[in-house]
Amino acid sequence: MPEPGIAVRLRRVTKRFGANTAVDDVSLAVPVGSAYGLIGPNGAGKTTAFSMMAGYLRPSDGAIDVLGFAPAAVDALRGRVGVLPQDAILPPGDAVGELLVHLARLQGMPAAKALEAARGALAEVEGADWWGQRCGRLSHGMAKRVALAQAFLGQPDLVLLDEPTAGLDPRVAWEIRRLVQTKKGRTTIVVSSHNLRELEELCDAAAILDRGRIVAVGTMAELTAANDEVRVHVARGTRPGQGRGELPLQALRGLPMVRTIDFDDERLELVVGFDRSAADAETVIGHVLTALLHSEVRISGVSKGRGLEQRVMDVTR
Amino acid sequence: MLSSSLSPLAEIRLIAVRELRRSIRSTKGVAIAALTLAGACIALLVSGWMDAGGRELPSAEVTQAQLELRRQAIAHATGDPAFADDVASMPTSLLAFLKITVWFSPLLVALLGFDGISGELQHRTVRFWAVRARRSSLFAGKLLGLWALVGLVTLALNLLAGGAALARGHVAIGELARWGVRSWFVVFVIAGAWAAMATLVSACFSAPILALLATFAAFFVLWLVGLGGFLSRMRLSAEGGAQPAPTLWYEFLYPNAYDTLLMSSDPARVLGAAGILIAFVAIATGAGSLLLARRDM
Repeated sequence: MPEPGIAVRLRRVTKRFGANTAVDDVSLAVPVGSAYGLIGPNGAGKTTAFSMMAGYLRPSDGAIDVLGFAPAAVDALRGRVGVLPQDAILPPGDAVGELLVHLARLQGMPAAKALEAARGALAEVEGADWWGQRCGRLSHGMAKRVALAQAFLGQPDLVLLDEPTAGLDPRVAWEIRRLVQTKKGRTTIVVSSHNLRELEELCDAAAILDRGRIVAVGTMAELTAANDEVRVHVARGTRPGQGRGELPLQALRGLPMVRTIDFDDERLELVVGFDRSAADAETVIGHVLTALLHSEVRISGVSKGRGLEQRVMDVTR
Repeated sequence: MLSSSLSPLAEIRLIAVRELRRSIRSTKGVAIAALTLAGACIALLVSGWMDAGGRELPSAEVTQAQLELRRQAIAHATGDPAFADDVASMPTSLLAFLKITVWFSPLLVALLGFDGISGELQHRTVRFWAVRARRSSLFAGKLLGLWALVGLVTLALNLLAGGAALARGHVAIGELARWGVRSWFVVFVIAGAWAAMATLVSACFSAPILALLATFAAFFVLWLVGLGGFLSRMRLSAEGGAQPAPTLWYEFLYPNAYDTLLMSSDPARVLGAAGILIAFVAIATGAGSLLLARRDM
């Protein structure tokens, strides 16, 4: 039976390839309707975890539920799960439209509906003109978009995307991110990617994997501490002190919502921890900047939280 | 969204039709055309050889004595008097072409089918299907697509051979229809067993070249088994004088050995042979489905 509110559940999942353990005792839950990221360096196990969710790989131990069923339960999940595999090559001899119609038919659509769905999916990736082209003649970017079209074919409940923008030029990558953004909320999306900015932009929550294990998991705000701290980058040469152009740490500590103040003089970064029940990040930023500007501190940047990239660097080796 | 249902048969049909279309359109299509042309050349050579040696007479001119002579010659060559009885009246050019087609059918199947699954495993193309079709349907669809392809190629070859024999006056149109359809049926059923084995081997490998080598190796071993059985039976037949030697059990492992049974005028023998060959297909489908269900893609 489907678990209310949960689209994908991994329970203590392990995958071994011979002596190598690619995924080790991983548990996570992807909420229905969310955009969820799988993050980690090369060899972290994210593609293996992704492939088990898609049913391509069988777990060595543990269990996976996808919309309440085992990933291999093709008939129960027919048309409800779309997958963009990272390195699967489209069949070179098939015409794009013909392939999409065929895949739509396998999703259980009658011929006329399959044709309509295929045309719609191709139009969404701005590939309507490629209908008669052989897949083998598509450029990398075009092929990726066709693969994305097949993943979203028939408006599935869950879409799994493995490195959706890998190897694409910035414009095509942007278009793909925009397309995924438009699908958010209507469908549950799981994205595995190296591109942390992309994940930060797209995802509501994520799991960070390292060497096959989950090392951090939570909403994007929790992972980046966006609701707990603000970071201010200051100009080179800035030091703590009471004078003009110096960081007024005492004054900042006196702000009512502030819990901690740290200054990293190597990174030239002021980290202000605050009590989220007393104020939100925007209010804190206002107070902190007012104090800094009052001291004539030269500011080069402000961010909510530490950024996903920094968080990943902190928790992975 | 609720899942849409699709029966396994509908899945298999969709996959088989797509497989057939893919094979014809790919570079494999060129190989198919080349093989068909080569087959046509063989048909013409056989026909010419018949003419040159005066070996083929229009059937209306064949006397009873010549028919008996032909029956004895076939029985001697095949070690199977029952088969000789069944095909004694078959025009020699069609019989020769049947034997050649049956003999070449594993080669044809191996060349057309080695990459059916292995090719899609290699490039992970199969992943686009893995979320949409049962793995058993995937296997069965690939197998049926290959079988249908080989069926079409052999049909084209039979039509070419029949056309050549007809043009040279070796057969009348009625005879061609009668023997031609039976010949194609024999090759088609036998090709099914070879196609099943080739698809099974293809599912074991994710490198097509390894699948090709393994298919050739498996088929060669079976050919040796068949050859060994045939030679043993011929030796036993020679030792037994007029008494025909029974078919040896292990000969039945070699699909081509069923051609004599499939050409029989006894429907029970035809059905039995076809049933065993279909069992080959069913066993390979079961094994292949299990293999695909258990393997990582």
